[in-house]
Amino acid sequence: MSQAFRLPFRIWASLTIRDRLGLLALVMIPGVLGGAFVTAIGIAVLGPSVLDFLAANLPLVRFFVAATAILLLTVPTAFVLIYLELKVIARMNLRVGPNRVGPLGAAMSVIHGLKVLSKEDFSPSGVDVTVFTLAPVVTFLASVMTLLVIPFAPGIYGQDFNIGLLYFFAMGGLTVLGLLMAGWSSFNKYSLLGGLRSAAQIVSYEIPLTLSVVGVIILTNTMSLNGIVAAQSGSIFDWFVFKQPLAALIFFIAATAEANRTPFDMTEADSEIVAGFATEYSGMRFGFFFFAEYVNVFIVSALCATLFFGGWTAPFNWPWPATLNGFDPYSLGVLGWTAIVLVLIVGGTEVLAPLIRLAGGRSWDMSSTIWMAFAVTIVIGLGALGALGFVAFGWLRGLVWFMAKTYFFVITFVWMRATLPRIRVDQLMGFAWKWLLPASLLNLFVTATAVIILNR
Amino acid sequence: MPTRPSAPRRPNARATSRAERPAPEPVASADDPRIMLDRQLGTLYEPIPPYPTRTEREGEFYSLGDGEMFLNLGPHHPATHGVLRLVLKLSGEQIVDVDPVLGYLHRGVEKICENSDYYHVIDQVDPLEYISSLFQEWPAVLAFEKLMDVQVPRRAEYIRVLSGELLRIASHTLFMGFLALDLGGLTPILYSFIERDEIVEMLAALTGARMLFNYYRIGGVNGDLNHEFMSRLGDWMSRAGKQAEANTALINENEIFVRRTRGAGVLDRATALRFGVTGGNLRASGVPFDLRRAHPYSVYPELEFNIPTRDEGDSLARYLIRVDEIRESIRIIDQCLNNMPDGPIMAKLPRLLRPRPGRAWGAVEGPRGMQGVYAISDGTDQPFRFRIHDPSFVNLQTVPALLPGNLLADTMATVASLDPVMGGIDK
Repeated sequence: MSQAFRLPFRIWASLTIRDRLGLLALVMIPGVLGGAFVTAIGIAVLGPSVLDFLAANLPLVRFFVAATAILLLTVPTAFVLIYLELKVIARMNLRVGPNRVGPLGAAMSVIHGLKVLSKEDFSPSGVDVTVFTLAPVVTFLASVMTLLVIPFAPGIYGQDFNIGLLYFFAMGGLTVLGLLMAGWSSFNKYSLLGGLRSAAQIVSYEIPLTLSVVGVIILTNTMSLNGIVAAQSGSIFDWFVFKQPLAALIFFIAATAEANRTPFDMTEADSEIVAGFATEYSGMRFGFFFFAEYVNVFIVSALCATLFFGGWTAPFNWPWPATLNGFDPYSLGVLGWTAIVLVLIVGGTEVLAPLIRLAGGRSWDMSSTIWMAFAVTIVIGLGALGALGFVAFGWLRGLVWFMAKTYFFVITFVWMRATLPRIRVDQLMGFAWKWLLPASLLNLFVTATAVIILNR
Repeated sequence: MPTRPSAPRRPNARATSRAERPAPEPVASADDPRIMLDRQLGTLYEPIPPYPTRTEREGEFYSLGDGEMFLNLGPHHPATHGVLRLVLKLSGEQIVDVDPVLGYLHRGVEKICENSDYYHVIDQVDPLEYISSLFQEWPAVLAFEKLMDVQVPRRAEYIRVLSGELLRIASHTLFMGFLALDLGGLTPILYSFIERDEIVEMLAALTGARMLFNYYRIGGVNGDLNHEFMSRLGDWMSRAGKQAEANTALINENEIFVRRTRGAGVLDRATALRFGVTGGNLRASGVPFDLRRAHPYSVYPELEFNIPTRDEGDSLARYLIRVDEIRESIRIIDQCLNNMPDGPIMAKLPRLLRPRPGRAWGAVEGPRGMQGVYAISDGTDQPFRFRIHDPSFVNLQTVPALLPGNLLADTMATVASLDPVMGGIDK
């Protein structure tokens, strides 16, 4: 490095802290002010035309917002699922599980995420670096893109394709490409075996998985997931699990294999091939695989709930007696609701603090009294607001039911992982081709025949 | 400072450096990019030993056929029960040949024992079979007692049988958990550890240690039954049978577990006898050989128990034999508690032991098979020669006969069902 290049660093190092701050201010204040000025002029000049363009292309805006929201959704989803898995399996193993970081150890998975982020981005000698780097991205993106078509609640979905289900299976099938890339490029025989296993497994299980939902498509005449949910609205007996029980079973089993979950976790069978395709991965590259796995579990559970258990529709009309007497909750607007929330929090704290002070006696000083009142208000207020919102907003009701059903299946997956051993590769393939495929064909045949006879 | 003349270097076959050995023959066409990569880096990562082949078998094993590859399973692998290294020759996922490589945990315990006096030997042999170390002390004291013509008090014999059978149950319980773990089941191992912990804590109350007991003595045992041990034992015995049933129900009824183990690693009767397999692995192949009956020692002739056998010889049979043996052990403990005589727990012995010159063989039926000790005395206070027969070592020898033709996943079922403990194998 040349002497001239080093000079500014030397001068910087010789300055005191106060001088450094002064220098920074000297540079930053005009910079920030100038930047703000330029931005303001830019908005004033370009703003109207940009707004017009966005208004003219509202579906495009909607798509970008939805895609961003879904991309952001994956991270907390994975965190919640990892925490659930740690905690639920621990309880089933008669262990305590994480209990140090956050309340009941709830921040454990976040810490795991930070740990993975802070590790060295390392690729061993002999690997095909390009493919090795791309593989986790492919796997992660393929899982995330399938989230786009899932209807979370009435009106809350990424995109409503008329070929939604087909898109889902196409994108879901792409994950195997990432696993295969990882296994091939790692220059490790365990990885190679894991990658090949995943290819064989996912290709085999894709067929019964897809065939099992054809019965549902025949019954609803649509491949749009919104349409399938709409066809199940009504009573609990409109759910397809009652009309297509065999298909639901096949779908659940095949989806377990598709998500590489126990007992079908051939690809990363830790007692056989160490960690399968992920053996050579570390740091955030491994983190992407890890995230993708848990996002996959969520997606598969969500699809189970959507296709066979009514999606966001409520199994019964609950809470039945509570109505709003013709009051339109949307008439308050965002500002109105914000004002209500603020008034509730401040007012609740004001009311509760003296009461706590009186009841608690000397052990409560002023600050802890106020904090306690604030916390109690938040809990009560959130509960009350949640209940009000549940009654008032259809989308919130739908979201709650959808999440309840999805997490039921997530817990089932976790439960299976704690209970079942892993099956062998040849038994896995035999099961797919000898049992699941004929069963799904039978289901398809019976459904089609019934539809033809009943429609005649 | 004058330099000492250096000792002449011994000729050593292993001294051949990596650079001198011939490059491996390419097995497929040179256009395959994967093969080209292998030629650059493969020599570094292949498990081929860095010296010329020494035996015919080694030469045959370390030459690849078409479409075959080596897989280096271990010594650091989640499912090899310690530091066992298996070099597998694979064709796809199918195993063509196996070469087990031992010695990663060799500590030279036999030689250490030859340099310790007779009392200290018991302490030295403890960490060999670290899962069930009483069964490593037992043959040693048995051999020494034969050398010295010591009559062990009956109460001491009963205490030995009692503690030994407790430890057998602990070992078998752990075996069941580890087998399930190697097949991918996460939970049974933790249930097993709870069961084992109760027994081990009980024995800690009796002996003062949880794993390396150092409890048996030449001519008796180190301490009498105490209150804490007896209360823990009574507490455990009241639910032992039920708990064993509950723990096995999680595994026995599991269709996946049964399918994974049935027909995996079939050890037929003739092969088992030819290899000298003992213990539950032999009884699972249909040979009702149990040292407690075949060559009775201690007070076993006075006790009633069955020797469970099975004819299948596969991993499932080896597992079920252990389950049956747990029941038999509970029966034996029950009888020990009923028949426990009063009296001393140690024979009168001099402070310094100097047996007459001679040789003795002591063997007991451990959880894994025949645990033997062969000791030669030359009249000093240290054994002249001390040799250990470890059942895991013999049982593990059958792996190359069991695995070929099976899938990679069967390696874990088979090796785990043979129940090796690497501490004893490598000595």
